[in-house]
Amino acid sequence: MVMQLTAKQSIFLPRIAQIVRVDSLSDREKVFEFVFDDGKELGHKPGQFVEVSIFGVGEAPISVTSSPTHKGSFELAVRAAGSLTNHLHTLGKGAKVGIRGPFGNGFPLDTLKGQDLLFVAGGIGLFPLRSLINYVMDTRQDFGEVTTLFGCRSPQERIFLDQLDTWNSSKDMCFLETVDRVPDDSWKGNVGVITTLFPKINIDPKKTYAIVVGPPVMYRFVIAECLKKGLAEDHIIMSLERRMKCGVGKCGHCQINGVYCCQEGPVFTYAQVKSLKEAV
Amino acid sequence: MQNRVISRQDLAGFVDDLIKTKSAGDVIGIKAQGNKFNFGPLKSATELRLDYDISLLPPKKYFFPQQETVLKYEVEPAFKVEPVVEERMLCIIGVHPFDIRALQLFDAVYGGNNPDPNYFLKRNNATIIGVDCLNPIPKSFAASMGTNTVEEGFDLMLTDLGGDWFVTVGSNRGDSMMKKYGKGREATNVDLEKRNKVRRDAAKKYKTSLKMKPDEIPALLDANWESPVFKERSATCFSCGSCVMVCPTCVCFDVQDDPALNLKGGERYRRWDACMLPGFAAVASGENFREHKEQRFRHRMYRKGKYLLERYKYLGCVGCGRCGTSCLADIALPADTYNLLKEGK
Amino acid sequence: MKPRVAFFDFTGCEGCQLETLNFNLEVVDLINAVDIVEFREISSDHSDNYDIAFIEGSITTDRDIARLQDIRNKAKVLVALGACACTGGVNSLKNFYSMEENLKVVYGESAKYYKTIPTRPAHAVVPVEFFLHGCPPNRNEIIRLIKCVVAGKKFEQCQNPVCVECKLAENVCAFERGEFCLGPVTRGGCNAVCITAGRKCWGCRSLVDEPNINSQKDLLAKYGLTVNDVLKQFRLFNGTLEVAKQ
Repeated sequence: MVMQLTAKQSIFLPRIAQIVRVDSLSDREKVFEFVFDDGKELGHKPGQFVEVSIFGVGEAPISVTSSPTHKGSFELAVRAAGSLTNHLHTLGKGAKVGIRGPFGNGFPLDTLKGQDLLFVAGGIGLFPLRSLINYVMDTRQDFGEVTTLFGCRSPQERIFLDQLDTWNSSKDMCFLETVDRVPDDSWKGNVGVITTLFPKINIDPKKTYAIVVGPPVMYRFVIAECLKKGLAEDHIIMSLERRMKCGVGKCGHCQINGVYCCQEGPVFTYAQVKSLKEAV
Repeated sequence: MQNRVISRQDLAGFVDDLIKTKSAGDVIGIKAQGNKFNFGPLKSATELRLDYDISLLPPKKYFFPQQETVLKYEVEPAFKVEPVVEERMLCIIGVHPFDIRALQLFDAVYGGNNPDPNYFLKRNNATIIGVDCLNPIPKSFAASMGTNTVEEGFDLMLTDLGGDWFVTVGSNRGDSMMKKYGKGREATNVDLEKRNKVRRDAAKKYKTSLKMKPDEIPALLDANWESPVFKERSATCFSCGSCVMVCPTCVCFDVQDDPALNLKGGERYRRWDACMLPGFAAVASGENFREHKEQRFRHRMYRKGKYLLERYKYLGCVGCGRCGTSCLADIALPADTYNLLKEGK
Repeated sequence: MKPRVAFFDFTGCEGCQLETLNFNLEVVDLINAVDIVEFREISSDHSDNYDIAFIEGSITTDRDIARLQDIRNKAKVLVALGACACTGGVNSLKNFYSMEENLKVVYGESAKYYKTIPTRPAHAVVPVEFFLHGCPPNRNEIIRLIKCVVAGKKFEQCQNPVCVECKLAENVCAFERGEFCLGPVTRGGCNAVCITAGRKCWGCRSLVDEPNINSQKDLLAKYGLTVNDVLKQFRLFNGTLEVAKQ
């Protein structure tokens, strides 16, 4: 049983990183770019998360939004929701934070290679998905057809506008977007919940994997649409939100039934989620 | 490794020797606390109460303290973060077999892919001297869980033969401790049979039992997710957390920062936390994935009877009975719920 | 800029202010972290310019109401300090009698010279940002609140009942000692000091968010008590809560 360990291997010890850029995405969301003090890479996979420390405030799990194909720094997109994220929003360029991770399984890149991909992002579900979409766009030859559906509640809640424009004009991707409702007539695009985009797309269910990230309420409806399109249950991939406190499978906060979201997750197939009673 | 038999006097001498020489580190023992018992630093063998029924808190507190600083940080004048890992050499005397089984689960949880130095730098150097439980509490069902005795997980295991003590040697460390002390004699087969009879007799004293084999629990739970038992039993739950705070197999914790008043530095600590407390599964956006007490109650029953077993190969309940004893609503004992589910079939 | 802090006492014993002063060495750090501009027990200074106002005591006269509203208008953050300010505390016992009766018992012949109104907690008069429960409040919790305010971090009060900290403190359960304890429904954050000291919990820190009052009443049968016995216990510190009025 004797485990040779030293204090330096503390599961709680973060690496120090510095904010090098902050951009506002909306009223409640910002994107932060970080560089580690030791100059090393984060070394993450799309779909993984890190634990961000602001000393004196605490830690919170945040998914990485930049693609690992982007070197030298990494980005976290953050909605001000809790104590830590609100505090993070007050920090600017030059501020230092602690970073532990990357943690979690990430999206199954090996499974997705060579397949057609259907990305479905609801609201800030785009944050973790953006990492994968950009990874796929940077290694485009490794994948088949790519379709992206993005929905948010109103035009004001759209995020990463430049990115959306790029995808929209890209020949390498079919990009469709909708908003749930419009306050005025300034919005010329689709109106309606994200499931209203499904009749507009054409996919080959045998070759396609759907990667779905959004608020809990969105999953039920989007999964039903995916199944209607003929996708198998293990071809529907989703990322779940839980309170991942330690990130290393000890503290217990992120349990979904017998599964630790920070270890086996946060990415699951619908086939897996279906057997988890408390997942969605 | 050779089992031994030593007199009461010699056992006391052995313990006093450990206290005096600190050869196995700080000596912790089971002592009286009011009309109850608890583990604490031992000043003399006369304080030891090896005849105890149950300790208020399980001995896990020595490896996984109720609250433990894990980091120290400074943000001014320089940005600095250092791990805080207390290393300690301990000898714990009087651990019951079911509590030893619980420590084996802890080893599995805190080891694995991401071993935790805060746990292992205390656990690795610990000497465990167990004692067979001859006075089980009414709520304990360890005998029916097969955890009333253990074959491993200790350095020495003491069994009260009436006049003398039988010492089962469970490790090389335990073996050399006994050899070094030198008192007593080698145990014979007659002694061994005496020890086994004491254990058999003790097993008959358990007033509560699980009415099935422990390995039947996961399938029983699989078939009963929708059972009304969880809602009915949890109706009187206080969500007070007593059951999970006294549990030897509850491994979960919370992490918080404690900044100094000048905000230039501070500490990060971890503290016991548990799934029966209302906010345990809440996330920053406000969603609580186990908002209702019946969800939390059911989760605990599955965690103890299925999830931990599937994950770590050890059942999450050792049948010690602490939870059932501390539960004011008398709903916490896993055996009661499992028995009800079994009867409902 | 250090936050400017003021303490104001209403109807109460001023024990909460005493507890605040009882920080030993930390009081030095506290004084470095904030400017205390009004605090009757340590200084005759007076100021109308403050950021954080600590309200001690309950509201028991019309004059109190006007004074509290004035403080609220001047403060950015209002903190209810202690049981009297948070729930009305012991003072709310008088709400179970008529005001005339109360005046007569307390002042006898001179009752006609006094006016009184039913006891109210601070938040029944003005909005309150934070609550520091307890009689007295826990000094570590007071410090934690000040740290949060100084650091601009949200102060979260303890969500667990007293039982959690009581078990962590390795106490023998008060029920096992034959006492009827309010720990299972009372908000923690006090480190279960009363039970640790061999007593029981009287509920001075008010109720947790989801107290199982029915269960607490079920416990009565076990201990041979009546509903009235328990209501009396709840009323000692929580007379303004619905549960104590039934």
